[in-house]
Amino acid sequence: MKMTATKYTNFNKTDLTKILLSIMFIIFVFLPLFNMFMNIDIDSINKVIHSANFKTVIMNSLFSTTLATIITIIIAYGLALCTERVNIKYKSIFSVIFLIPMLIPSISHGMGLIFLFGNNGILTNLFNLKSGIYGLKGIILGSVIYTFPIAYLMFVDIMKYQDASSYEAAEVLNIPKWNQFTQITVPYFRRPFISVFFAIFSMIITDYGVPLMIGGRYTTLSVVMYQEVIGRLNFGIGSVYGVILLVPAVIAFIADILNKDKGSINFVNKPFEPDNTKWKKILSYLFCVFISMVTLIPIFSFVILAFVKKYPFDMSLTLDNISKTLNIHTGEYLLNSIIIALLVATIGVIIAFLSAYMSARMVSKTSRFLHLSAITSNAIPGVVLGLSYVLTFKRSFIYGTIAILIMVNTIHFIASPYLMIYNSLSKLNKNLESVGLTLGINRIYMIRDIFIPTCRKTIFEMFSYFFVNSMMTISAVSFLATTINKPISLMITQFEAQMMLECAAVVSLAILFVNLLMKIVIHFLKRKFSR
Amino acid sequence: MVKLQIQDIEKKYGEKTILNKVNFEVNEGEFLSILGSSGCGKTTLLRILIGLLNPTSGKVFKDGKDITYLSPSERGMGIVFQNYALFENMTVLGNVEYALRIRKENKNNKGEIRQKAINMIEQMGLSKCMNKRPNELSGGQQQRVAIARTLIINPDIILFDEPMSALDVDTRLSLRQEIKNIQKEYGTTMIYITHDQEEAFAMSDRIMVMREGSVLQLDTPENIIKFPAGSYVEDFVINNLKIKIESLNKFVNI
Repeated sequence: MKMTATKYTNFNKTDLTKILLSIMFIIFVFLPLFNMFMNIDIDSINKVIHSANFKTVIMNSLFSTTLATIITIIIAYGLALCTERVNIKYKSIFSVIFLIPMLIPSISHGMGLIFLFGNNGILTNLFNLKSGIYGLKGIILGSVIYTFPIAYLMFVDIMKYQDASSYEAAEVLNIPKWNQFTQITVPYFRRPFISVFFAIFSMIITDYGVPLMIGGRYTTLSVVMYQEVIGRLNFGIGSVYGVILLVPAVIAFIADILNKDKGSINFVNKPFEPDNTKWKKILSYLFCVFISMVTLIPIFSFVILAFVKKYPFDMSLTLDNISKTLNIHTGEYLLNSIIIALLVATIGVIIAFLSAYMSARMVSKTSRFLHLSAITSNAIPGVVLGLSYVLTFKRSFIYGTIAILIMVNTIHFIASPYLMIYNSLSKLNKNLESVGLTLGINRIYMIRDIFIPTCRKTIFEMFSYFFVNSMMTISAVSFLATTINKPISLMITQFEAQMMLECAAVVSLAILFVNLLMKIVIHFLKRKFSR
Repeated sequence: MVKLQIQDIEKKYGEKTILNKVNFEVNEGEFLSILGSSGCGKTTLLRILIGLLNPTSGKVFKDGKDITYLSPSERGMGIVFQNYALFENMTVLGNVEYALRIRKENKNNKGEIRQKAINMIEQMGLSKCMNKRPNELSGGQQQRVAIARTLIINPDIILFDEPMSALDVDTRLSLRQEIKNIQKEYGTTMIYITHDQEEAFAMSDRIMVMREGSVLQLDTPENIIKFPAGSYVEDFVINNLKIKIESLNKFVNI
């Protein structure tokens, strides 16, 4: 009788957790979105649709985003081919360099281009170039640098699971290379390409950082929304733009779900032998070095601006810019950011782990709701989420505190870490719970001593993902930050507006430094626990 | 003496009947195999016996006591799964001692438990693997760890859910012998699920043949051969065995 009683309370505990998580998702995902929809009135819609440049803005956004997405995909696919399929050296160094753009805010990429190619840019001065980086060119270049690492990671992952045996069979059967490409490669990559395309497309179209910095008179949707909300406090019109920006993201989300391979392959019969052909190797080196330079040169420009007295007038080295930056509250904001990022990482890991545990290891309707809620956040662009939080929580006690920033970041970034841990937990033996039940090990012990330690590496990855993204984000937080809870990434726009470019460079470098530090710590932690 | 009594066990999922009024008894110290092709309901039955599933109706008695709705851990039964389900993050020793070590009543005799686990591991011939992790072991070794992990909680009935279907022939033969040895030494009642006729005939005191949720025959191997109950038993059990034996004889006679 006693044991049955314990079983009963255990059942209640997991049920309670499920209900609490569901309520949390309802309050922090669905309620804000609902509020944003409710905030739209006919008047605002009319104002938006009949505004003079509405058509131009839409066309600008679609055109620049499509072009940037295609270029990003070509570059990322090419890079993945070089590192995964060709036998080149220094692969790990290249792949670390390729991921650096993921560690700084999108707005820094726009700024980097201005430092290099702007009117007084380093390369403009060095080679006497005519500055023409503002506008479409700059948006595309900045967006490509900002998003290609994500696309590269996605392609590397896809290629790791591609099987070489079908190509071998084709070779044996004497099937020409072109037919191999159309019959094996194209069908294999069709689905992944669609997923990558939509992911990158919605990332670029919803980003305001790059176009705000470098777009000049080439206005895009996200920038208009940003200006309406931040500059004019026009929440109604902002909401209309929010809904418009939600469209591509929702399409991407649905396409991704429809596009999922049902019987996904988790093992490879025969991995690919890296190609040793000489011309392919030379080409790969050239391409990787070129992209590495494109990635690193903007970072060097930050270094130059940050450590030189006043570029280009006084080129003597100094640390003044750093102390100057840190003195005007920026030190506090950096601390804010680190605290927010650490808390987001901790809370995010706990929420993502619990939700994934419920949905991966228990079958019920609530579990499915949790799963859907956790991945839904992927479909909500940061700026849209931020705006909907303003509308919902403006009068609540958490507004203006770091709590609201922690919540918005946790929700904004939860989808990827959730899926990481969901996949890890799903792969674990289906009978583990049964073993626990028959051996009399209760659920909490099983989670503490079996599930968490087994998934330790994934948990480190999740922590790092939450942290890095919270450090660099400028999207959701931009509408919610006040002078008290402001994260440091938002200082970049402010410094840029005040023409304190060297301070903006210092801030970008500080974010990069903190994020690199986190990546290194996680790397060593993972190594320590891998045996 | 009757150890386990299964009375009118029925399991339905909506309209679909998985188990259809199953009745049988298992004697103390007996080795009973449940033989049937996949989908015959044998795994569902096993999960009901150990309490991982509730039956739609019917009762399970152990030593005369109704255990139908008792939680799995208070039935004094152990189960060994086909895919081992070991704790990947723990060593062999950790796997075997874990369930006992975390019990509140064992707070002060951890040393005793460790010794018990070590003895168990040695007995299973795994002394060299004591500090290895599951992914460093062969399939046969992993299954031995799973058996040791179950044995240490002193169950008087052990259930096996196709424990050898992932193993190669050599390993199966040696593990078969070991399971029989354990049964002799501890006097444990064993219920063994399999779809392998030869395995069932080589190991069992009695065999229960199942099809589509019903018991077709429950008898000693000898009697099943002599008096098969109906054409399915003859086909599925005896003819399959014959084919195996014939193909062996072909080589022996040359």
